[in-house]
Amino acid sequence: MSIDTRTPVAEAPRQAGKPGAGRPTGPGGLHTAGQGLLVVWALLCVVPLLWAVLTSFKSDREIFLNPWGLPSEWHFENFVRAWTSANIGRYFINSAIVVCSAVVLVMLLGAMVSYVLARYEFRGRNLIYYTLIAGMTFPLFLALVPLFFVVQNLGLLDTYHGLVLVYTAYALPFTVFFLTSFFRTLPGELVEAAMLDGCSHAGAFFRIMLPLARPGIISVGILNFFGLWNQFLLPLVLMRDQERYVLSQGLAVLTANQGYRSDWSALFAGLVIAVLPVLAVYVTFQRRIQEGLGTGALK
Amino acid sequence: MRYGKYRFIASFLAVPLLLYIVFVVSPYVQAVYISMTDWRGFSAERNFIGLANYAELAGDTRFWSAMWHNALLLIVVPVVTLAIALFLATMTTLAGRRGSVGRGGVAGSRFYQIVFVFPYVVPLVIAGVLYQFFYNPQAGLLNGLLRLVGFEWLARPWLGDTTFALPAVMAVLIWAFVGFYFVVFSSAMKSLPSDVFEAAVLDGAGRVRTFRHITLPMLRDSVQTSYIYLGIMMLDCFTLLQVMLPDGGPDRSTEVVAQYLYRMAFTEGRFGYASAIGVALCLLTLVLAVVVLRMDRRARVEF
Amino acid sequence: MNRPRPGLDRRQFLQRLAAAGLLTVPGAGLLSACATGGGGTTTSAQGEVSAQNPLGVAADAPLDVVIFNGGYGDEYARFHQELYKGRYSNANVKHSATVDIAPEMQPRFVSGNPPDVLDDSGAQKIEYATLVSENQLADLGPLLDAPSWDDPNVPVRDTLLPGVIEQGTFGDKFLILNYVYETYAIWYSKPLFDQRGWQVPTTWDELMALCAQIKAAGIAPFAYGGTNAADYVLDLNLGAAIKQGGLDVVRRIDNLEPGAWTQDTVLAATQGVEKMVRDGYFMPGSEGLKHTEAQAQWMEGQAAFYVSGSWLENEMKSFTKPGQDFGMAMAPVPVLDSSAAMPVEALRTQPAEAFMVPARAANVNGGMEYLRIMLSKEGAGRFAELTASVPGVKGATDGIEKTPALDSLSAGLDAAGSNVFNWQFRTWYSPYSQLLKTELGNLLAGRSDAAGFLAAMQAETDRLAADANVTKYSR
Repeated sequence: MSIDTRTPVAEAPRQAGKPGAGRPTGPGGLHTAGQGLLVVWALLCVVPLLWAVLTSFKSDREIFLNPWGLPSEWHFENFVRAWTSANIGRYFINSAIVVCSAVVLVMLLGAMVSYVLARYEFRGRNLIYYTLIAGMTFPLFLALVPLFFVVQNLGLLDTYHGLVLVYTAYALPFTVFFLTSFFRTLPGELVEAAMLDGCSHAGAFFRIMLPLARPGIISVGILNFFGLWNQFLLPLVLMRDQERYVLSQGLAVLTANQGYRSDWSALFAGLVIAVLPVLAVYVTFQRRIQEGLGTGALK
Repeated sequence: MRYGKYRFIASFLAVPLLLYIVFVVSPYVQAVYISMTDWRGFSAERNFIGLANYAELAGDTRFWSAMWHNALLLIVVPVVTLAIALFLATMTTLAGRRGSVGRGGVAGSRFYQIVFVFPYVVPLVIAGVLYQFFYNPQAGLLNGLLRLVGFEWLARPWLGDTTFALPAVMAVLIWAFVGFYFVVFSSAMKSLPSDVFEAAVLDGAGRVRTFRHITLPMLRDSVQTSYIYLGIMMLDCFTLLQVMLPDGGPDRSTEVVAQYLYRMAFTEGRFGYASAIGVALCLLTLVLAVVVLRMDRRARVEF
Repeated sequence: MNRPRPGLDRRQFLQRLAAAGLLTVPGAGLLSACATGGGGTTTSAQGEVSAQNPLGVAADAPLDVVIFNGGYGDEYARFHQELYKGRYSNANVKHSATVDIAPEMQPRFVSGNPPDVLDDSGAQKIEYATLVSENQLADLGPLLDAPSWDDPNVPVRDTLLPGVIEQGTFGDKFLILNYVYETYAIWYSKPLFDQRGWQVPTTWDELMALCAQIKAAGIAPFAYGGTNAADYVLDLNLGAAIKQGGLDVVRRIDNLEPGAWTQDTVLAATQGVEKMVRDGYFMPGSEGLKHTEAQAQWMEGQAAFYVSGSWLENEMKSFTKPGQDFGMAMAPVPVLDSSAAMPVEALRTQPAEAFMVPARAANVNGGMEYLRIMLSKEGAGRFAELTASVPGVKGATDGIEKTPALDSLSAGLDAAGSNVFNWQFRTWYSPYSQLLKTELGNLLAGRSDAAGFLAAMQAETDRLAADANVTKYSR
């Protein structure tokens, strides 16, 4: 794999895996075994996805008869079926609008809450923290009916911004939970120094802590993105306008067709159409993130 | 200064907490109220019955057997998942080429960093369908591989076996979640100060020792947080099980609380009782979270 | 500070928060505060009743139709809606198709804003018993008495196949129109049986002999989907038991009588299944398969028989080998011996795909009119054509081109004549469904025996009979 193009700074590249001279522990055998495990896990990650892609080109019969071979015939019509029955084109855009807005909003709000919870002592802090944790533990479908009425009374039913706000609220506990522990690992001295220099609390947050926390914010943001992208129950109840359905609602139709009409091929085709673009964006984005992290990390 | 501090705290918390209270807390508070009614879920009629649902719950053997399955998931899945994720993150972030421990991982790390996230991107619904093919007794890849390498005796109808159905599901969960924690740990490791590692290298500490004595303690918060979060996920597990074993598995050996709750709510029309199950689940989870958080006496900030 | 929502001024926002805040007080009118139509009486759209419009449809009232987008798709519904618009051109007909009926429809029922027609089916359906006991369904009696769409002299009641009214009646009201006439049988590939010279068995002894023969040929006699559909096999033992002992057998089970599951014929037939398990007549590994996986392997010739309902062919449409005729055919469940109370041709027919008109719908009459259209010759014929299934209307499959299974099914129904039966305990009492899957799964995987299975069923029956909170029905 020659994906790794970075040259270590001020370091002559050396062969990896060679027994290390001058290393008291961590013999080469361990290193090789470690490398081997990485390869195995990478296969476990890639093979199922590749299999899903190949399967999306097979006929339903072939999926069963020859589940692990190459398709004997490439059934591109699976994609047409998936595209039309799940209305993927339209729903993809809806998902992108809602999820992107919600992720930006939740990361901003979540970072603010986490920072305060991680760095300040005040009355009620524990209460807030545990209330947020509790929000992750309660099964969503029990809240659906009351939530429906809350959203309805606010006049936000079947709107993009209504769904964005609800997504934001439901992603907040997770975001705060992870970012709080993240902010706690960051050194506090910098903030204290900045405050002595006359920086305000908010200024210290935006100018110092936020840039420092970038690795954590980006990774939690990515996790939020994928989590919300696959969110299904909330839009099911709150977004009933078929023009504004999100992608997961479309995929549910394909899942049902698999269950009731044995249409596996369209399900996998739908998966490919729905997931590959997101994955492609992630892969390209990942390079940027890595580069960004290189400069943003602690020196 | 004090005034400034509280005004700052309030200004940072106001909007997010308002959203949270309106959209999350208020529906859940209503659900707590519903748990004290006999609401059937499809009309406006309901009667307040106090704690009757909770009394029934205490003696409900199906609830406790489902709870036991959640407990098994809770014990096994987080430990294995976090161990794998920590290992992968260390190898690709810190293990480094020799001489540069602490910065950068082994060769190919950037490839791995992309690839390891793939399973998390696949919706659990589809992962369930995918692994159904994997576990298929006749045509499945798993039994095929076992037969290929001469372990025929190990081949079995995985999802139809009372002993192996739950572990089979656990394997899928681990596969699906490692990527998530890999991302969390990698980013935490990247923000660790590099001078510590340089010092360790100068001291001649090896990779394993560096990990045990430097990396792990510094990642304490992240690991703890991840453990709790994964524990919470394991108390749910609804989506995957509903796809793979929608009716509770062989001899009901894989039914989890969330499935039982869903069945009570939507199939048997007992929303009040289902809400009581939900509240009980929530309380148990909170206890778990508090225990894990308190266990860590060295936590810098006391929660 | 960033404002939470653009395009809404602060006062408005606060007002709405206050409105939502009302709801957050525990107990303070959770649902009674719910916006519109909480518990009040509904005013449904009314039109002039005439010969042309027997149900009094308001010609310009909108019609909201929700279709379960499962095995039959939703194309047939669009055709029915065209017919509706053909007569009521001013009506705005809203079509939605969904799969997760219960979570999606729940808030609409609670807020008193349900659709006018709901096809409540599939794994996520709302249990009928719940809707019935909550008085959420309109009495469809007027529909039964209304003249049929095609002939003003024949009421709708007389156009339905036997069992459709019974299946949808709770207490003394007809509340649910089960549109598809499903028939349960043992399915096989006729060409395969012809080629091997196998004879379809009519008695249990013949069945056992044939199973031995099939097994000797290296094929599994039966397949089943153990992870989610072990209960399909119930037709084998309970079906045989009912044919043997007569309709009284099933009546006692439906009525939750003590000892219902330990009646002689039920015990004998279940022991028959137990023996089949012990003799290895069920495909190994079936306990780890979903129904669709088991069906796929059956269609590949790895098993000879499969027990299922008549949706099977439609469900497995895409699995037919190109250029080869699987020749799906049905056989009735065999009788235990020749002294059986019912002829071997007897079939379990159980109408399904539940169409209902919610009691508080805005256009109840329009909803009923829509059902009347579904039951018309044109509406039902188009459904049969699109789905290769039998709707619960007389003569709907006349003159349409029949698939092999539909052809075999039609012949089987003709042979059965009035010898049809059904069971209601699963419709009336929802806990049975999962219990059957679990306990029958145990029996078929060899984890329990006939006595164990029947004891578990009887225990649940006794529990339900004693539970005062469960609404009871009887027949």
